[in-house]
Amino acid sequence: MPAYEFPGGITPPERKDRSNQSPLRNATLPTQVTLPLKQHSGNPAIPCVAINDTVQVGSLIAQRDGMVSANLHASISGTVTQISDNAITIDADGLDRWQVLPSLNWRAEDHQTTIARLDSCGLVGLGGAGFPAYIKAQIADHHRIDTLVVNAAECEPYITADDLALRHYPTEILEGAQMVARLCGAHQIVVGIEDNKPEAIHALKEALSHFQQSDCQHPVSITMKVIETRYPSGGERQLIKKLLNLDVPSGGLPADVGVLCHNPGTLLAALYAVRDGKPLVERIVTLTGDAISTPGNYWVRLGTSIETLLQQVGLANQQLHQVIVGGPMMGLPLTTLDVPVTKTTNCLIAATREELPPAPSESPCIRCGACESVCPVQLLPQQLHWYARAENDATLEKFHLFDCIECGACSYVCPSYIPLVQDYRSAKQRIRVKRIESAKAEHAKHRFEFRQARLARENAEKQARRQARQAQSRQTSDSSKATDSTVQVVDLRSLRIAQTAAKAAVRKAEKTLARAAAEDPSQRHDDLETQLATAQENLKAADTRLAEARATMAQQESP
Amino acid sequence: MGDIFSWWGILSAVGVLTGIGITFGALLGMASVRFKGEENPLVEQIDALLPQTQCGQCGYPGCRPYAEAINQGDALNKCPPGGEATIHALADLLGREPVPLDGEAATEDTVAFIREAECIGCTKCIQACPVDAIIGAAKQMHTVIEDECTGCDLCVAPCPVDCIDMLPRSKPLNQWQPVVTNAPLITSDRQLTRSQHAGL
Repeated sequence: MPAYEFPGGITPPERKDRSNQSPLRNATLPTQVTLPLKQHSGNPAIPCVAINDTVQVGSLIAQRDGMVSANLHASISGTVTQISDNAITIDADGLDRWQVLPSLNWRAEDHQTTIARLDSCGLVGLGGAGFPAYIKAQIADHHRIDTLVVNAAECEPYITADDLALRHYPTEILEGAQMVARLCGAHQIVVGIEDNKPEAIHALKEALSHFQQSDCQHPVSITMKVIETRYPSGGERQLIKKLLNLDVPSGGLPADVGVLCHNPGTLLAALYAVRDGKPLVERIVTLTGDAISTPGNYWVRLGTSIETLLQQVGLANQQLHQVIVGGPMMGLPLTTLDVPVTKTTNCLIAATREELPPAPSESPCIRCGACESVCPVQLLPQQLHWYARAENDATLEKFHLFDCIECGACSYVCPSYIPLVQDYRSAKQRIRVKRIESAKAEHAKHRFEFRQARLARENAEKQARRQARQAQSRQTSDSSKATDSTVQVVDLRSLRIAQTAAKAAVRKAEKTLARAAAEDPSQRHDDLETQLATAQENLKAADTRLAEARATMAQQESP
Repeated sequence: MGDIFSWWGILSAVGVLTGIGITFGALLGMASVRFKGEENPLVEQIDALLPQTQCGQCGYPGCRPYAEAINQGDALNKCPPGGEATIHALADLLGREPVPLDGEAATEDTVAFIREAECIGCTKCIQACPVDAIIGAAKQMHTVIEDECTGCDLCVAPCPVDCIDMLPRSKPLNQWQPVVTNAPLITSDRQLTRSQHAGL
């Protein structure tokens, strides 16, 4: 298969050999873990244990809240000591007792069972975004998936977690890929790997040749494609372009072009969850940087404090300049080491000052265009920079800010040392918060309108009742007087028009709601329902007024 | 001969143009009757810019009535929850001069909280709430639905036992915003940092 090209890209120093020389090891079991309730994209999980509960490794401690969320399990056996708004703390008893689910044979089970297992094991994408894996496995319901891409590119400098996982567990990862391919109905699996990982490529080749001898068990064909090392080839869209020459549309998903992308670590964890019934309680983390003495890759229990973890591998505090979670390009520097390892922590860099010096203070943009030529999404970083600083949000969206993958290539090449990605990230978040706020305002508006309509309806009904009472008393006293009937006629006509308009509004609201429900049945349409209720209230009020006017008319005509 | 011809030309041109004018005028007239908008689109646009807290601090019973009043020429600066941002947005939309806010801007996002032990169940706050965010019944305890509350504090005044507090609203994690400190472009220590960098 030929390799295609994505635009832009850079080749920063790799520095991967510091952590990929030693084999995969187990980190020491922590004495205490702090498990944040939000380690994934979506809603935080809801705790389902109480303080002083005894838990084992793999016990469910928090349940997912809504669709986009994930279960959370205890990563050590011991006692729950603290439950705060954001995290659950467990003190270890040192016994490391496991509580695993029954093993499933994914080749025989139906899809629903396997997907339910991925859900109950709290599996999320381990590459960085932490998107719940069970939703991704259900993609076949909405899209036709042709290819499963195993994203083993691992393009960021320093990180070698996927490299080591592939070296140690190539068979398991390929089996996990087969399982996910079966779930999503893919016809082929393509493994994309950068050419800077010869050992992993070798291990994969061996596993593949082993598979070909027993291909009845592995119905989906697997191809491995070695690509040149260039950052950010591990970006989902970039890898799909490079392997399959498909362009994922702006604002779309890889599923729109029939592709599903998974990280090898996720596939490994998925297989463990299904085959062995092991919930997601540990992951491979790259511990690297010049400030630690034994860098390498470690199996780390989730919730382990980063500080104790780094102490175990020989952290030299006086040399330490900063600790970065993730890679040097997209990672975040930590302000405190008192934070736990989460489901999405793939790498910790304890860097010295010489290794990753602080960026010099920025100078004005000279419009050299260097950022534009390295942007893998072909955006205009310098334009985005101006508009982001000016907080010109409408124009930012017009310039496709939300297509930015925050790879950091533009900041890397900027001769004025402008922290461009930082600007984009804060601008994106600002726009997101604005959207949430305007949605809230819209919601309040609909509720206010509904209340107004309800009050108007109640008023009209009260009025009608009063009229009826008056009419009754008038009938009994039998002293009706002739009133001006022409005014009544005009009144009746306008009331009829109002009633017809209200009827049309109800029909329109019903149609809108039905259309929205058909388009997206999984979503709730509270606002549209409120609008429909408002229209119905208005109709009721109009009906009442009309009936009242008619009754008055009838009375005037009868004598 | 030439004169007659040119007269004919002018008359025919006038005739054709008048005909076109009448045809299109009739079309436009019909369209304006047939596709008549029910409401004033400008009021809708003004309403969209208001924060929809329905707090009534502008002196109107809700955001929509204030939007209508602005359209009639009322001042732009009567909305404390919207603050300066709303005034500027309104000034932009209407082409008026932005004026300073009349009153104090809302400093933080608040939410009403009923101390339930003290509530006597009088339903006065329920009647005051513009967005139906309080549930309860006569002689039963009332409580505020936090997600629906706009923080307008209209329920505080009617409460006969003063059991309603306005508390700061807790921000969910997905509304967290990074604190950006953009270094000023001219810094006194520019020379220092540059020499440091050159040394590395």
